[in-house]
Amino acid sequence: MTKRMIVAALALAGIFVSLYLTLYKLGIIGELSCSIGSCETVNTSKWSRFLGLPVAAWGLLFYIDVFAISLIGTFPRFEDERVISIVLVAEAAVGVLFSAWLTYLELAVIQAICIWCVTSAVIVTLILVVSAADMREFARRGDLAAQ
Amino acid sequence: MPANNDQPRARNVPPRNSVREARRGNRSRAFLWILGFIALIGVGAIGYVASKPKSSSVATVDIADTSNAGPSQGYLIGKVDAPVKIVEFADFECPSCGGWATVTEPDVRSRIIEPGLANLTYYDYPLEQHRNTLAASNAAACADEQGKFWPMHDRIFQAQTEWNGEATDAPKPFFKRYAGEIGLDVAKWETCFDARKYQKRIAANLADGMRRGVNSTPTFIIGDRKYPGMRSYDELKALVDSAARASGAPIAGGAAAPAKK
Repeated sequence: MTKRMIVAALALAGIFVSLYLTLYKLGIIGELSCSIGSCETVNTSKWSRFLGLPVAAWGLLFYIDVFAISLIGTFPRFEDERVISIVLVAEAAVGVLFSAWLTYLELAVIQAICIWCVTSAVIVTLILVVSAADMREFARRGDLAAQ
Repeated sequence: MPANNDQPRARNVPPRNSVREARRGNRSRAFLWILGFIALIGVGAIGYVASKPKSSSVATVDIADTSNAGPSQGYLIGKVDAPVKIVEFADFECPSCGGWATVTEPDVRSRIIEPGLANLTYYDYPLEQHRNTLAASNAAACADEQGKFWPMHDRIFQAQTEWNGEATDAPKPFFKRYAGEIGLDVAKWETCFDARKYQKRIAANLADGMRRGVNSTPTFIIGDRKYPGMRSYDELKALVDSAARASGAPIAGGAAAPAKK
């Protein structure tokens, strides 16, 4: 497995987590109902929307995007494209910051934890770590080439 | 001995490419397997969750021990002696309750309740995470005092997004406006609302729901079965029909729903 393959696999897992949360928010999955429980509290709070879209839907778009880019990055033609690694790191960094903000809201403001939101935060952090390692590999290879 | 000289070089220099080439096939096959595995688990899990509510959330409840037992008091619409009794536990601020009340319930009223196939009793089930729902329950209870629970119920649900906890910290002016719009004696309504006159009834309705194992809204109890979650008109009609078949005739009216004031 190259690092980009790991990123793609993580992003695919993220797609399913955020897809679940999006369907839940839209009421397609689970009971279309309001119930007692932390995920309900978090997912029905006023912070569950961002720029008019459910936060979960933003997460879904984000993971689809990361998945597509990292998948393309595994194609032999693009394996040596450094720009893909840079884009992945930049996107993952934004994702981590956004997740950190959401996790802060959960802990400090809403005071409820949604396990799937935490799962997504862990996945995006792993994506950042792995894609950063991927980018460093290019830097090292660049050093080798220079010698 | 050129071969000897070339060997180590061949291992050291080109390996970067040739080993990569050789491994690439295995690697991408493993990669595809892993992606397939994740996709399978993801699709399976979401499919399972999607199909779950309909199959497993139907639980039998005993309504005999709670009806007319406590001071809980729901709000009835329809004929008191209708053959099937629908009980609804709902939260005024819950979006899916609002969706049900505004989209589905009009059909249920005109095609099930008005023809006398069933009646419906609404019980408050205010959830903790909704800041303004208790105020809404109070507003509706005070409208009930003047015989206008249902117009207030409808008005509150129709305008849910303007007074809910996401929209405002002070919902009272909205409810007061609705009170005027549906033709209540607003001064009398306001006195009642400010005194939280029916707070105990609302708490009792919630407690009643908890006793019956309600833990999400809306939850319907039809006959002796509990159906959590929103139901379409067709689903509800089927449930009412099967409850009517099960009871045969409108006999055994023991489990009478609390009557409207």
